[in-house]
Amino acid sequence: MERARVLRAVAFTSCILGSGLLRMSDATADSQFTGDEGKFLLTAGFSDLEGAGGGGLVPLALISGYGSSDSWGANAHFTNIQLHDFQLRAYGVAVGALDRVELSYTRHEFDITGTPLDGLGVTQDILGVKVKLAGDAVYTQDGWIPQLAVGAEYQKNEGISDGGAVGLPGVVNPTQLGAKAEHGTDYYLAATKIFLAESLVVNAALRYTKANEFGLLGFGGDLKNTYSLKPEGTLAYLLTRNLAVGAEIRTRPHNLSVDDETSAYDAFLAWTPTKNISLVAAYLNLGPILGPVTGITRRQDGPYLSIQAGF
Amino acid sequence: MLSRMISLVGCVLFAAAASAAPGGLTLYERIGGEAKLRATVHEFVLIMESDDRINFTFANTDLKKFEQLLYEQLCELTDGGCKYTGRDMYTSHAKLNITNAQFNALAEDLYLAFDRVHVPYRLQNKVVALLAPMQRDVVKPHPVPQGSAPPARRNAR
Repeated sequence: MERARVLRAVAFTSCILGSGLLRMSDATADSQFTGDEGKFLLTAGFSDLEGAGGGGLVPLALISGYGSSDSWGANAHFTNIQLHDFQLRAYGVAVGALDRVELSYTRHEFDITGTPLDGLGVTQDILGVKVKLAGDAVYTQDGWIPQLAVGAEYQKNEGISDGGAVGLPGVVNPTQLGAKAEHGTDYYLAATKIFLAESLVVNAALRYTKANEFGLLGFGGDLKNTYSLKPEGTLAYLLTRNLAVGAEIRTRPHNLSVDDETSAYDAFLAWTPTKNISLVAAYLNLGPILGPVTGITRRQDGPYLSIQAGF
Repeated sequence: MLSRMISLVGCVLFAAAASAAPGGLTLYERIGGEAKLRATVHEFVLIMESDDRINFTFANTDLKKFEQLLYEQLCELTDGGCKYTGRDMYTSHAKLNITNAQFNALAEDLYLAFDRVHVPYRLQNKVVALLAPMQRDVVKPHPVPQGSAPPARRNAR
């Protein structure tokens, strides 16, 4: 809990620092503090599972928030994923500065709502940073060069609660399920291209990761305790200026013998009625979770709903 | 689930393919030719005039002339057979200190103008895709050094 408070303080400080990065020379006094909301609708992305500007599962090379290259933006999000036997709530904040740097903090609350482990919960904190390297997804419509960004996500598993209540007395940490660490850092490279003439958004990412089930089951495992390089992708079609439909795939390592982790998929509808609010409705499939432990090996799929408010 | 996903991706690609030009029509013709494009430009000027984000950048602009030049530019870009007779984008914006936010605001106003005259969104995107690369000539680091020479021209328009 103490650590969570520290992380929250760090996220808050990030906000302050983000605002400090403002260029003070020619922005109006007003926009220095509120952001200029100078980017196109949809080009701030949404909040992905780890809090980065992206879709639902996969980060984009776009910087979160609607601040243009002379300004900044920020947002807060809440996401609920209801699978057959599991529920994940994710909430957090993100700041984008100068359309160049993105900082984010997200908290995960993962509850087992079915299977013999009903009642078990896991919490996790994630600090993310993303930096745009090159290219411009919007303006470069006369070439193939995508917008490129690199990111890192430090994740700290805060442990397992109520292990005793479900017949796993003393299980308080994912390392007791075979994970090698309770914290880890993912690194990713994302390339995003908006083919505006075709109303298409194409995104590919490469993630360097040791995370088990997004870190909810820790990092590294009895099967594999080295980093894996896993591709991810997003394809979206722009239906209107504020509505996009698409799909994502995220391949994931299989490090733990207690969890037959597979690739994750979703199909989504993303709606941004104004630059201040975004809604994402998706159908998500994470494959079986903890099958060898629970005996429940059906795939875990279900609705993903996310709301984001900001500027 | 995977098959559902693949079919959805297929739908997206099909929708994109279906938006390809039918029967060799130019974008100009698909939009609706001179009448539609002139109506768009007229609406655009009205919208822009009341848009406090950018209207001041047109303070010294002859809007009648601007409307004609914008029509010529859009007509030429969409293969309507016109010849744009105005100055190139770099020169015409050299002293305006246009920001990315202002460039984007103008594009947003153009989208609104297209909406008002009922040009489909997919075609709007095709026009904006032709305009977007002009950002490199229109938006410059601030302030513009006095007497600076323009950079190597890529695609003078």
